[in-house]
Amino acid sequence: MDIRLLRPSDIPLIQHANLENLPENYFLKYYLYHALSWPQLSYVAVDVTRPRKSPYDYPKIVGYVLAKMEEEPSDGVQHGHITSLSVMRTHRRLGIAEKLMRQSQQAMVETFGAHYVSLHVRVSNNAAIHLYRDTLGFTNEKTEAKYYADGEDAYCMKLDLRFIREQLLESQAEENGGEAEEEGKEKANDEKSKDNGGHADEGEAVGDVGRDPAKSSSSKKTEGEKVKVKVGRGLGVGELVERVVTKQS
Amino acid sequence: MPQTLNTREANLFRTVIRHYEDKQYKRGLKAAEQILKKNPKHGDTMSMKALIMNAQGKTEEAFALAKEALTIDMKSHICWHVYGILYRTNKNFDEAIKAYKFALKLEPDSHQIQRDLAILQVQIRDYPGYVQSRFVMLKARPHLRQNWTALAIAYHLEGNLAQAENILSTYEKSMTSTPLKTDFENSEAVLYKNSIIAERGDIERALEHLETEAKNSLDRLAVMELRARYSAQLGKKTEAAKAYRALLDRNPEHPDYYKGVIEALELPEGDEVALKAVYDEYAGKLPRCDAARRLPLDFLTGDGFRTAAKAYLTLMFDKGVPSTFANLKHLYSDSFKRDVMPVLAEEYLDERKGSLDGNEQANSDSSKGVGAALYFLAQHYNYFLSRDLAKAMEYVDRAVELDINNVDFHMTKARIYKHQDDTQKASLAMDHARSLDTRDRYINSKAAKYQLRNNENEKALTTLGLFTRAETVGGPLADLVDMQCIWFLTEDGEAWQRRGNYGLALKRYHTIFNIFDIWQEDQFDFHSFSLRKGQIRAYVDMVRWEDQLREHPFYFRAALDAVKLYLLMHDKPPGANGVNGVDGSKVNGEDSAEKKKALKKAKKEAQKAEREAAEKAAKQDPNKASAQKSKDAEDVKKKDDDPNGLKLAATSDPLGDAMKFLGPMLQLSPKNIDGQIAGFDVYLRRKKYLLALKCLKAALLLDEDHPRVKEQAAQLRSTLDPIFDSLAPKVQEIIKSEFTAPRL
Repeated sequence: MDIRLLRPSDIPLIQHANLENLPENYFLKYYLYHALSWPQLSYVAVDVTRPRKSPYDYPKIVGYVLAKMEEEPSDGVQHGHITSLSVMRTHRRLGIAEKLMRQSQQAMVETFGAHYVSLHVRVSNNAAIHLYRDTLGFTNEKTEAKYYADGEDAYCMKLDLRFIREQLLESQAEENGGEAEEEGKEKANDEKSKDNGGHADEGEAVGDVGRDPAKSSSSKKTEGEKVKVKVGRGLGVGELVERVVTKQS
Repeated sequence: MPQTLNTREANLFRTVIRHYEDKQYKRGLKAAEQILKKNPKHGDTMSMKALIMNAQGKTEEAFALAKEALTIDMKSHICWHVYGILYRTNKNFDEAIKAYKFALKLEPDSHQIQRDLAILQVQIRDYPGYVQSRFVMLKARPHLRQNWTALAIAYHLEGNLAQAENILSTYEKSMTSTPLKTDFENSEAVLYKNSIIAERGDIERALEHLETEAKNSLDRLAVMELRARYSAQLGKKTEAAKAYRALLDRNPEHPDYYKGVIEALELPEGDEVALKAVYDEYAGKLPRCDAARRLPLDFLTGDGFRTAAKAYLTLMFDKGVPSTFANLKHLYSDSFKRDVMPVLAEEYLDERKGSLDGNEQANSDSSKGVGAALYFLAQHYNYFLSRDLAKAMEYVDRAVELDINNVDFHMTKARIYKHQDDTQKASLAMDHARSLDTRDRYINSKAAKYQLRNNENEKALTTLGLFTRAETVGGPLADLVDMQCIWFLTEDGEAWQRRGNYGLALKRYHTIFNIFDIWQEDQFDFHSFSLRKGQIRAYVDMVRWEDQLREHPFYFRAALDAVKLYLLMHDKPPGANGVNGVDGSKVNGEDSAEKKKALKKAKKEAQKAEREAAEKAAKQDPNKASAQKSKDAEDVKKKDDDPNGLKLAATSDPLGDAMKFLGPMLQLSPKNIDGQIAGFDVYLRRKKYLLALKCLKAALLLDEDHPRVKEQAAQLRSTLDPIFDSLAPKVQEIIKSEFTAPRL
């Protein structure tokens, strides 16, 4: 079993896995649309141990997550969405679904600046709800009546991705050392202008965050302090994210 | 002479175009009629009308009208453009390109026509033509980065890497301000350029470029992977090890990253302790990581293997991981490992027996602990390298005893029956497994598959119908076809073929062929879409994959089935008592009665579905909204005039029909010996001796001891000997020099 990024050539067998496992199916083109719009977000679990039957064998897909960014978010906040997630019955209990989700969430933040990720799940699908809620930390936003073609309701679930944003800023600050101040500020500013259409009144808060990584980079000299700084920086970003979100909602 | 429109009608003409673009076909037609009432010879309007009719599925009328429009107004770029679009939508790309080129000659500055031409050129892989078109488009709009990137892609696909890089660099130099870090288009263009530098073979420069220009790219994973790869390629061991470790921190379930670390550390081959230490480090800090625990089993030997395998199996059995056997069976190519595994599983059972008394087991999850070990052993003895079906059955029965309602246990039982060649029992057992969890589509699919293996086509469709969309017009079959469910179509076709219903078998194989056509066509929209999205590397990957699309085993299997069936039909044409499409040797009465019944049922279902069709639009999975829409459009177009494949089976030229399937097999999967063997059979019967010889030679290269290939060599010899003198001298010459292989 191998967890890696989805490639276009995987798609026929992803579609196969989907058809075998789930009642919600899609044309191949819909998978292509995901793979070519947000190639960083979709992952597959591959059974690499199968003996090859011919030189033209394609790796067998035992699980996949098909993910996207919401193109026109109704709340104006950049966020990801899980279109489809499935793991073959024969490959359950290895934590594949969770691992696929985590890879996708990471990339949603890194590449597309996602603030949260959303998904729909059948209200009767206890295993999936357990994964989303208890393992991954999703919360139930609302119930959408008769969301599925067969009339079943869906829970609309959400996961705030700020924890990944915080980690990301940390690791960027560490990687870039002295450049951190500039980096942080620029990143935060860009995000702001994307989210809010550049409203000036958000300027200061963003500036705060911009300074935060800088603080850390100057106090990064001793190993002992590093841990403490991490916490402080994390909180700074957390507040900002919250402010941005509440302002818009 | 073309007529000119007055203002009112000119406006009306614009609304025709708008209605067409909005797919408001009826309104569009109405407006067009209004214009034509006053100006019956207005070519452009006639063309637009043809275009709309084509969209409505009236292809022939559309072509006739478009041609008429052209004779009236040869100098109209609209008429030529429409003519091209008609050809394009009917997949005659060469004619479409010709028409677009005419249109472009009349209206050289039309961006739209130029764009349509360019897209078609890349679709048919006319790369020189594409380069030219993109060059013109760049000259017209040089301020758009897209146009620079597109020209670079064109050069790249054409194989001119230097020029591709050059174009990207030229644009970069022209940029006046530093792009924002969140500028995705820029981030991706930089990485795209990096991939071209690497593809040119200059890894050193690629690494340097990566570290300076692409370091802060938004695609962090790509940067990390490229850094690791380039460092390894350049022999920078320390950097490579560090980079691969960084990747492992991110995703410890990707075996290549471990390999990267190990190669960079230059650990001596066979030093199992040192190798294992690399994995142990990650197993130690990541309790939920599977790869770090499982991968060492690949290289460990002897006692080292035994200890590690025992630990791994114990962990998996305790957790109740159903894929344990599937994840380890590749080790069975090593006979030592193959023999140790069941011993370890038995040890596990013995240890449990002493301590548990079976009490704890009784009220806990049967898929964990003892149940898991029994399940493993059942699969072990069911596997072809360690097969002992009696033992397999014994273990699975013990597992079932533990829990009579465990789906996985019953599923394995069905598989054992399958290996006993008892398709009847296998089908029943799998359907029983299905009945234990009716909400799981996986087990439903398996049950249907086993029914098909047992030639129960109708039953299988009913089973699958429990999960297909109820509102699809035409019932479960139509839904499975719509959703491009290849596995079902293949199995269903093969089952019909076994039942002697060649019509339905051919129907399924042709449906699969058509699905591959759709998949090839699917890339069309992305030639422009991907430029807008800016995801260039993924797009290039897609183009290259599409070039090889039909090498997929999905295609090969169905194509081989079809070719073999056509060969059979050629060799044994349906006799006097054979009904169209039904093998005469089968019980005809039963089959045709069956067919009538099926027909009646299908008609009923279609009527019912039609009634519900209106309702359906309202309740749609938003995920599928766009897909569904285009499907509806298709529905309007396509009425299947041969749902049971009777026309296909009535062919007078089965070998000619086989060619359609054979071509891509030989072209894209030349190393698959079954394809070459089938190719030989077809060509020999078509008296294409040189092509038969070509297949034979390819097959001999792949496996000269293959019994079928030896037979074919003899067959070719005995076919050629009596007619040799009658062949063209050139052919004789080639056969003499090339047909040397068979040692008879």
